[in-house]
Amino acid sequence: MATSRSGRLPLLAAIFALVMAGCTGVPNAPSSTADASAAASDGGGEITGDLRYLVEAPEDPAQLDPLRAQIEAFEAANPGITVELEAAPLDTLRTTLQPQLRSGEGPDVFNWGSGPAFGGAFAEAGLLYDLTEAYEQYDWPVYGFARDQVTFDGKVMGVPGEMETIGLFYNVDLFEDLGIAEPTTLAELEAAAEAIKAEDIIPIAVHDAEGWQGGHLLSMALSSRVGGAGMEALLNGEESWDSPEVVAALETWRSFNEAGYLPPTPTAVDYDTGNSLFFSGEAAMLPNGSWLVNDIPEVDFEVGYIPFPAEDGPGIFTAGLGSGPYISANTEHPEAALEFVNYLVSPDFGRFMVEELTVIPPFPVDTAGTDVSPLFTQVLEDTSSFAGGEGEFGANIDVRSTELFNEAMWNGVQGILTGQMTSEEAAQAMAAVPAE
Amino acid sequence: MAGSSEALPRVTRRAQSRLGIALVAPAAILVLLFFIVPLGNAIYFALVRFDGVNPNPPFVGLENFAQMLGDPVVWKALGNNAIWIVIGTAAPLLFGLVIALLLWNVRHGSLWYRVAFFIPYILPGVAIGVVWGWIYDPIRGWLNEALRLVGLGSVATGWLGNPDTALYAVIATAVWASIGFSVVIFLAALQSVDADLIDAATIDGAGPVQRTRHIVLPQIMPVFLMVATVTLIGGFSVFDIIFVMTGGGPAGATEVIGTYAYSNAFQFNRISYGTALALLITVLAIPFTIGLNRLQRRLSLYRMGA
Repeated sequence: MATSRSGRLPLLAAIFALVMAGCTGVPNAPSSTADASAAASDGGGEITGDLRYLVEAPEDPAQLDPLRAQIEAFEAANPGITVELEAAPLDTLRTTLQPQLRSGEGPDVFNWGSGPAFGGAFAEAGLLYDLTEAYEQYDWPVYGFARDQVTFDGKVMGVPGEMETIGLFYNVDLFEDLGIAEPTTLAELEAAAEAIKAEDIIPIAVHDAEGWQGGHLLSMALSSRVGGAGMEALLNGEESWDSPEVVAALETWRSFNEAGYLPPTPTAVDYDTGNSLFFSGEAAMLPNGSWLVNDIPEVDFEVGYIPFPAEDGPGIFTAGLGSGPYISANTEHPEAALEFVNYLVSPDFGRFMVEELTVIPPFPVDTAGTDVSPLFTQVLEDTSSFAGGEGEFGANIDVRSTELFNEAMWNGVQGILTGQMTSEEAAQAMAAVPAE
Repeated sequence: MAGSSEALPRVTRRAQSRLGIALVAPAAILVLLFFIVPLGNAIYFALVRFDGVNPNPPFVGLENFAQMLGDPVVWKALGNNAIWIVIGTAAPLLFGLVIALLLWNVRHGSLWYRVAFFIPYILPGVAIGVVWGWIYDPIRGWLNEALRLVGLGSVATGWLGNPDTALYAVIATAVWASIGFSVVIFLAALQSVDADLIDAATIDGAGPVQRTRHIVLPQIMPVFLMVATVTLIGGFSVFDIIFVMTGGGPAGATEVIGTYAYSNAFQFNRISYGTALALLITVLAIPFTIGLNRLQRRLSLYRMGA
């Protein structure tokens, strides 16, 4: 068939437009629970599907074995569903998970942080499966305050992560050997750091190579300075981020660095190295969170855990939520994924989280008779008062803020630790980030 | 020639046209699919405000480009790109040429040397970044240990966490990884250098530097420019090794346009702004690439070099 040149041009243009339209990279529209029932059942009523479940890699890969055993138990109870467990380091997840989900190559179920900067950012990008109906259908008993942290635009998009606190781990034996009491004020902490430094031991193993640790450093110093209500005022926009209290909290870390209480160039010390400095006895204190309790190896000293001290008292723990399960909007097996998430919210799995993973789930668990370490018992008591709304807790800023704000905060803390910014400049950069 | 073309029968001319189209079509389709369409797609995204969700993003014209001009991080990142381009292009060329000249007349074990120098080039950038991250580690890294051993402990620092050294530490890693490419290409080009000219120059009293400058370099100049073009473009689009080693930190000290485009597109859901930044890299790289390519072609036409 003969085609004139002028006739070919519109044809080519149409093909070009079609190819262009196919390359826009718009993610699939979020599924709904209604889609699930139509999509996954294999005709006979039995739920089927091969799922990929991605979690953060623990310090020791062997720590995944108990989770694998739990998954096998789930598979045995649900013969049509298989779950392939995958693990990746947190920093890999931070950089690659979103592109994976966008490309449609991501996992079906994955553990990810709660709050606007984590689950909220993914929800905004249309990458999460809406669990609002699932909460009603399965009656998941998740604490209300925790559920709020995975609710975006009125939709519940995930299961909140474990409850955790942030504070200072310290080497109890070393403190006793040096005749130093547990610091109960900021001045005592400085005096302790000075005495430890005199012994050629790193006082506080601050690690901030990855940048995100800066949020924890600011959260703990600021929480103890302004209290729980003060943190809420900052996070709700009632107080400005360039207030004198924020500047003073940043200044605490800047002055600690200048005084030599931190490792040389803390912005070059990564998370693992910072922890190993403490575990090896090369550092006396370690700013970190309750999730570390499960990762503390066999050490020949007693480990204590205290809040970052305030100027006039022992300070308060910074409380937050860790990573919990979300379902990808692009999963091909939403019903199977829902069944699996339902298992992850079950009382049996909650008890497994306490006993084997030494983390505190965001829903009630009967912990009577559990065999856990004294340090974890302390964490359990702390967080149970957090869940019950008792006691005063600060807030982990990064799980309550946007990704843009976190970037400004992380850059700000790195900036003051490297001398690129003053504490005032870092605070102003945070205050300049739009609220939404 | 035009006259002979006109003298051909119409049927033959048509057959020739069809043959020409058939021969060009595979390449044209590939260019269309892998260059024109993605480029058109990128331009479209740069002209709208796409957040990754809205399938019908609003048209904003040149807003993303205007925002780019007023963004201080862009200027800081461009400065880092410029440092990377200058050092990251000059160092592999210089070291690669010197090593190639040293290996040129090696008779025994030449292959092993080539393999040894080329291996870093074929290693994945991520693996290189991770391993060199360990070398630069301030507490347990080999570099600081070595410096302390030779009495230079005062120089030891957290190389990747110090804003004064971080960019140069990453560039040094990239140079180490890319030298092998220059060495192998230069060695291949040196095989075609006229040995008689070098002998004649030696008899005339020319030293090694003079012989390299006036005899060897002119003969391998097109290849030299080809290697320069490849490494230069790499300097514009650098991303992976910085992303792995510093993530653009500390506090943006190693931010380049590539890492800034990535974080905007995939961390902050500002896909259109990230695309505009990526286009900036392309726009900046094109004149340099064309210039070097033309120079290379001109030298080839003058029958200079390999």
